[in-house]
Amino acid sequence: MLDDVDLTCEAGEIHALVGENGAGKSTLAGIAAGELSADAGEIERDGRIGLVHQHFALIDRLCVWENVVLGNEPRRLATIDRHAARTFVRELGERYGLDVDPDAYVEDLPVGIRQRVELLRELARNPSILILDEPTAALSPGEVGRLFATIARLTENGVGVLVITHKLDEVFAHAGRVTVLRRGIVVERRPIAEITREQVARAMIGGEIPSIPAHQPTDGPVLVRVEALAVPGAIEHLSLRIAAGEILGVAGVEGNGQSALADALAGLTPFRGSVERPARVGVIPQDRLVEAVIPGWSLVENAMLGRERAAAKGSWRIDRAAARAQCAAIVERFDVRTASIDAPLATLSGGNQQKLVVGRALIDNPEFVIAYNPTRGIDIGATATVHGELLAARNRGAAILLISFELDELFALSDRIVVIARGTLRGEFSDRRFDRDAIGRLMVSA
Amino acid sequence: MKHESAKALLIGTLGVAAAMSLAMIASHVSPIVGFNAFFYGAFGGKQEIAETLASTTALLFPALGIAIAFRAGLFNIGAEGQLLVGGLLAGWIGTRIDVPPAPAIAAIFIAGALGGALWGAIAGWLKATRGANEVISTLMLNFIAASLALYLVTGPLRAPDAAGPELSLLPHAYWLPTLLSHTRATIALPIALLAAFALRYVLDRTWYGYRLRAAGEAPEAARRAGISLSRVALWAMAWSGALAGMGGAALVAGELHRFNTQLSPGYGFIAIAVALVGGLEPLAICLAALAFGALESGGLALQAAAAVPKDAIHVIEGVLVFALAARRYLGARGTATR
Repeated sequence: MLDDVDLTCEAGEIHALVGENGAGKSTLAGIAAGELSADAGEIERDGRIGLVHQHFALIDRLCVWENVVLGNEPRRLATIDRHAARTFVRELGERYGLDVDPDAYVEDLPVGIRQRVELLRELARNPSILILDEPTAALSPGEVGRLFATIARLTENGVGVLVITHKLDEVFAHAGRVTVLRRGIVVERRPIAEITREQVARAMIGGEIPSIPAHQPTDGPVLVRVEALAVPGAIEHLSLRIAAGEILGVAGVEGNGQSALADALAGLTPFRGSVERPARVGVIPQDRLVEAVIPGWSLVENAMLGRERAAAKGSWRIDRAAARAQCAAIVERFDVRTASIDAPLATLSGGNQQKLVVGRALIDNPEFVIAYNPTRGIDIGATATVHGELLAARNRGAAILLISFELDELFALSDRIVVIARGTLRGEFSDRRFDRDAIGRLMVSA
Repeated sequence: MKHESAKALLIGTLGVAAAMSLAMIASHVSPIVGFNAFFYGAFGGKQEIAETLASTTALLFPALGIAIAFRAGLFNIGAEGQLLVGGLLAGWIGTRIDVPPAPAIAAIFIAGALGGALWGAIAGWLKATRGANEVISTLMLNFIAASLALYLVTGPLRAPDAAGPELSLLPHAYWLPTLLSHTRATIALPIALLAAFALRYVLDRTWYGYRLRAAGEAPEAARRAGISLSRVALWAMAWSGALAGMGGAALVAGELHRFNTQLSPGYGFIAIAVALVGGLEPLAICLAALAFGALESGGLALQAAAAVPKDAIHVIEGVLVFALAARRYLGARGTATR
């Protein structure tokens, strides 16, 4: 996984650790924090190293202060001193600008707030170094800003912060130094002032960045018509249209009705209003590991999911040879890197798993594609592949609904963007004239 | 057979041998004498082998049923009740029809399957439409099945000639043909083996089996791929109950030749262990059923010859299941923190 890697993080610095998925960033973080063990080499820690995981490790059914003090509970005889614990959590939050209600239950909190809880939990243990693994993967632009403000406050207090990411914007905006990891080896390490974005990107993927095909103008017939869509508790009176050969981007902060919109259009949730759409739909679900794949199964069996009946061609028996050929075609066309199509999907990196999911959705050339955060948590190379394939599907005449929490992705791909907030559409930007500030304001409009 | 289930079988066998040695030593019996008595009891002669095969059959049907449900992600622990209802319907049909033996035996098995399927489907339907936890509903349905059967055989369906709470004897022509003459080993065994092969084929090769497994393995991904989880819950429980019910029919037509509330000494529960030891793989389950069948009949011999109580064998079976269940979590510990 890692080979002869050395890394230092100094007090008060922000050090960015970048690299593609599967480069070994998370493994390195785990070793540094003492959660994993290395085969060789040594780690010197001056004080505690705290690690905030990409996938949060909170207990949903406990409240915020309980999560924060867990393992370190202030005691009063045999019981927890609740008052002291609450006060401690509140003060900690105030000190670092992490505003959270100590009595809220984690299961009720949105992702951005959960991350604050996770940060608080690590900060409660007074780390000298804090490692953040992909901290902005699930955050809205506003939340990203707040997170980096908190990080700045930490570094002022002498804490060294190691940020693992693959978003170069964040690296160049906030970090002091950058280390690039590729296939378990450090390929670049420099102060941020001495390196360009292109150099970092090249070092990450070990070559040139694949370019995405250019946009073509669209004037196809309308394929998707949504009128007065309503999903109780999530969407009110939403109408939209998507034409053939058009990518409609949906901008919004997570939790504003995007999931219900995607599910209603995919036919997975009951709704009121009318939805007209083509029969052949390809869906790229939001949460890969839970909603899209069966990690323990082989690539072949995963590629079959949702088309298992078609794979039996009218009989009961699945045509294995055809299923294997189909999987091999996806692997080939969508550049899924795997040792074998019979390997368990879990052995692939996240980016390659996602390429299989995208391939499965697009291989039959569907007329309508629902893509929900199609590149979340995957590396630059895989992102370029996915973006290229979505544009190719669009150029073949598919109508595409692209829901993303990343404005850059929406700007790069969309022909038109609508903004969703609290379950209703707040504005529309067409002809690729996208105004980042206006969209940002609409995203948080009440 | 998959590597995992082969490993489970090996560990199980060694563990049981070790535990049995301990039980023998605790009863002041030399393990050599004890194992000798045990193996003689299980495989020593025609009668002994037939007893082992009869127990194997009685365990195999419900174990295969349990495997279907477990593979579909449903913890059916109601095989005992499904077996009982299946046996009841089979025993009732057997006394009501007047046809040649072959169709009669077919009708008895079909009735058993229907009765079990109905009982399983109740839990499946509750799960599908109301989200009721199938562990609780199947467990409770066991008690309801036992009480219902007792009520019917002591009341409305009680045989005029019966000595106890039981249905009338089946006509002699409907008794299952034996594999070994004058024993309890009947053609129910090859039927069960056939069911195992059929189940393996369905689970591994057909789109229907794929859907059941996908729903069990990753319900959310399966649902989003268009697989109806409620339909899976309903049907997997029905199929599961159908196999358990066929086990009841086999006991009625092959061993007791009538329905009786004492039909099963807990086969539906031991079958959970059989299914788990077999790693939920139909063919491995056949081997596991043979091992447990041998434990049942050899255990009786051990009790007679060496005064090791048969309950000790049941304790060992319980420990085995516990160990196998725990193994999963012990094994996962090293990789849980990533």
